[in-house]
Amino acid sequence: MSKPRLQARMASLTFSEKIKILEKLRDRERAISAAGLRPKQPKKPTAR
Amino acid sequence: MKATLETINQMQADGVIGRYAIGGAVGATFYLSPAATVDLDVFVIIPQTSGVLISLAPVYEYLKLRGGSVQDEYIVIGEWPVQFLPPANDLEYEAVTQAITTQVEGIVTRVMSAEHLMAIALNTGRAKDHNRILQFIEQVPYDPAKLKDILERHGLNRKWKSFENKFLGEGQ
Repeated sequence: MSKPRLQARMASLTFSEKIKILEKLRDRERAISAAGLRPKQPKKPTAR
Repeated sequence: MKATLETINQMQADGVIGRYAIGGAVGATFYLSPAATVDLDVFVIIPQTSGVLISLAPVYEYLKLRGGSVQDEYIVIGEWPVQFLPPANDLEYEAVTQAITTQVEGIVTRVMSAEHLMAIALNTGRAKDHNRILQFIEQVPYDPAKLKDILERHGLNRKWKSFENKFLGEGQ
């Protein structure tokens, strides 16, 4: 599947479905950080 | 996310916060394909009890009593680190008051409009904010006329021109 088509498909999911994906991505980020595979990101100056 | 939003809604019902709206990457995900983020940005209007300064202390106290734990600038509610952000300017205040009501797993919540998310990202101006604006432009879930109106009213035309010149060339 092409990237634009995949993006369109992902964008058309419901917010609840997208949040489930975000949670999986978040957990993966945490696992990578916990394993020391990636240095901890510096604090963001301002989140907006 | 369900537990997180239930707690925030209860905090609102208890009068600790006024209106709120999800912004940042999670807010953008309402419109775009999901992009990795580790936190939830919640813009909140804090009822002012006295004085001029707005304090988030009541929010933190309320949440700590209900199991929230503070981590740096976040408070972890459920599985999500949440950053509560009182509106820093008229644009962010408007974004909260004009947010869209939606649901996540049956829980009612509010998300900033696509156009407000774009304007706030433009105003913040980090690389990831510019990237988010480009995603909006590529995936087109926004109203250009509404965005133009917001940019004009909040004095962001010059920043938009600069963004266009830098990232979009003359084609837009």
